[in-house]
Amino acid sequence: MECSFAITGKGYVIVAADTTAAHSIIKVKLDEDKIKTLSPHLLMAYSGEPGDTVQFAEYIERNIRLYQIRNTYPLRPSSAASWIRRALADSLRSRKPYSVNLLLGGYDTSTYTPHLYWIDYLGTLTEVPFGAHGYGSYFALSLLDRYHDPEASLEEGLATLKRCIDEVSKRLLVAPGRYKVKVVDKDGVREVEI
Amino acid sequence: MNSLVSRFSTTGPIAELRKAKEVLGDDDEFSDAVWGSEAGFGSLANGVPKFSIPQVPDPSAFLRLHTDDHSDPSCRIKIKHGTTTLAFRFQGGVIVAVDSRASAGSYVASGTVKKVIEINPYLLGTMAGGAADCQYWETYLGIQCRLHELRNRERISVAAASKYLSNLVYSYKGMGLSMGTMICGWDKTGPAVFYVDSDGTRLKGDLFSVGSGSTFAYGVLDQGYRWDLTDEEAQELGRRSIYAAGHRDAYSGNTINLYHVKEDGWKFIGNYDVSKMHYEGPNGVGYGYDIRTEGRSSANPPATQ
Amino acid sequence: MSIMEYNGGSVIAMVGKDCVAIASDLRLGVQSLSISSNFQKIFPVTDRIYVGLPGLASDVTTLHEQFRYRVNMYTIKEEREIEPQTFAQMVSSTLYERRFGPYFIEPVIAGMQRTPSGSYEPFIAATDLIGCLNFAKDFVVAGTASSELFGAAEGLWEPDLEAEDLFETISQTLLNAVDRDTFSGWGAVVHVMTKDKVITRTLKGRMD
Repeated sequence: MECSFAITGKGYVIVAADTTAAHSIIKVKLDEDKIKTLSPHLLMAYSGEPGDTVQFAEYIERNIRLYQIRNTYPLRPSSAASWIRRALADSLRSRKPYSVNLLLGGYDTSTYTPHLYWIDYLGTLTEVPFGAHGYGSYFALSLLDRYHDPEASLEEGLATLKRCIDEVSKRLLVAPGRYKVKVVDKDGVREVEI
Repeated sequence: MNSLVSRFSTTGPIAELRKAKEVLGDDDEFSDAVWGSEAGFGSLANGVPKFSIPQVPDPSAFLRLHTDDHSDPSCRIKIKHGTTTLAFRFQGGVIVAVDSRASAGSYVASGTVKKVIEINPYLLGTMAGGAADCQYWETYLGIQCRLHELRNRERISVAAASKYLSNLVYSYKGMGLSMGTMICGWDKTGPAVFYVDSDGTRLKGDLFSVGSGSTFAYGVLDQGYRWDLTDEEAQELGRRSIYAAGHRDAYSGNTINLYHVKEDGWKFIGNYDVSKMHYEGPNGVGYGYDIRTEGRSSANPPATQ
Repeated sequence: MSIMEYNGGSVIAMVGKDCVAIASDLRLGVQSLSISSNFQKIFPVTDRIYVGLPGLASDVTTLHEQFRYRVNMYTIKEEREIEPQTFAQMVSSTLYERRFGPYFIEPVIAGMQRTPSGSYEPFIAATDLIGCLNFAKDFVVAGTASSELFGAAEGLWEPDLEAEDLFETISQTLLNAVDRDTFSGWGAVVHVMTKDKVITRTLKGRMD
């Protein structure tokens, strides 16, 4: 089953998502990237109904890009989160709603603060220091309550993320095998290996 | 089909009941409950306890119709659900920790439930699922364990006790019993933990957690668990894990009951309020995330000259 | 599974002597899983009106934005601030607009209403999810702990409480009620409003 995690730390957000694309009982693809880079300092991990996920993510990606082209500057993380939430909330009451859950991690370059937003397919938005979607959240959230540190260095943050992934692999029957991990900080977005 | 088979089979509880009725005559006017002085175990004289069963073709379907609040939240009888319990074995014995919340739907029916059942001075059982089922059958198990002692002049092993319970609940399979329990104790083989549930599963192991909040407890427990934990570390881990579940799981919480089983039997360590643990912890340092990280910020503004 | 209970949360408002109070819990959950302990359900509308929006969390944000937009438009057109009574009607009609596909929110409104003589009197109201207004003279409740809140409030509330006593009453009512509800809690916030100021306090509630 799909799992995504994200944690904030001193000046960064780490976003991790599993890389499996499943269809009924088959793993169709093992290295699918489910984290989009929306703008130079904004990452979005998406999961949910196959088809909806990529369609919605690309719609968001293009519109965030359009905003940047029109206005020179990209939306700040909080504004982007509000806009994306609204897109989901409007979709919810449409004929065919998108079933997509998101973790939106960004670094606000004007306040030097990392932000993480937990958004679900209903259009629920809340800012959190760490968040997760999927069954993994039932194991990871209590673990992060215990081990997460807002002032952790990137190495410490990645070690905490590793704990989550290990725990989910150990206990979750339908745990994913591989994860893609990306970091956003003052220097922008990059992928890291764990 | 199952109900049809069970009505005519010669083994199983329904058949037992039928046989008992033939022997004792149909005395529906007097239930076992009138023998109040025997606390519901009065029918023990006849071997396995007998229960009055609704006079309908399929009693378990009848029970399910009126108690299954998952498929029908407006059902008349709401059996209490939601729990976090855990037990683990380590170098210094067995730690047993549980929460104390009983919820019926969204209502917190009680915050002071004893979910550890003290079977005898060497055996503990935990309670998840149907409260009454666990209480009744683990008390019953206590009676059988005492009889074993009297007959064999030695204490029953944890393996045997758990097997007794497992076989017993298995004989009621499909009739709506709901239990997920850990039988914990110390016997000739040392510390032991067995997981027993009403499906009939019985597992020997080092570490178990059961209930709606078990995933949250596992998250903390797995990361902090080692065989060579000291007694204090192990008790802290048990307490911290139940707190984690009480915090995140809506159906768990209120207080933590902590037990430690050693060679000379179990000892009750204490009762801890989950909210007090959040704000103050067992010794002044709160477990709560906001308390633990107060004043720490993830912002990294450039240093000003 | 009820949509009204999906995210959890409760709001209560009470009338005092020349003051009103409105309070809510801070939990955001997804059924049994608690996600956030800082999810505000009460929002300032003007300096003299607060609105509490318990129910589906997505609609909490959507309706908050909707009311902010409509109140701003009202202020610009009328060149004056909206009165609590008028705002309550706005809430009601906004909800009824979605009669056949409602917002899953049961709003609670608290404010100080200007009287013709120029003084202020306390005002509270609540509506159901399609906008049926309920004006009360004592207290109104909504959310997953509403039955517990009714019970606690019936026992604790009395007429003509001063601001400080009203704060104590509403706080005790809320804290004790949400402790009996699995889907509410995780902290609480209380606003007490008099004619010239609002005092906001965050309460230490049970965190389980």
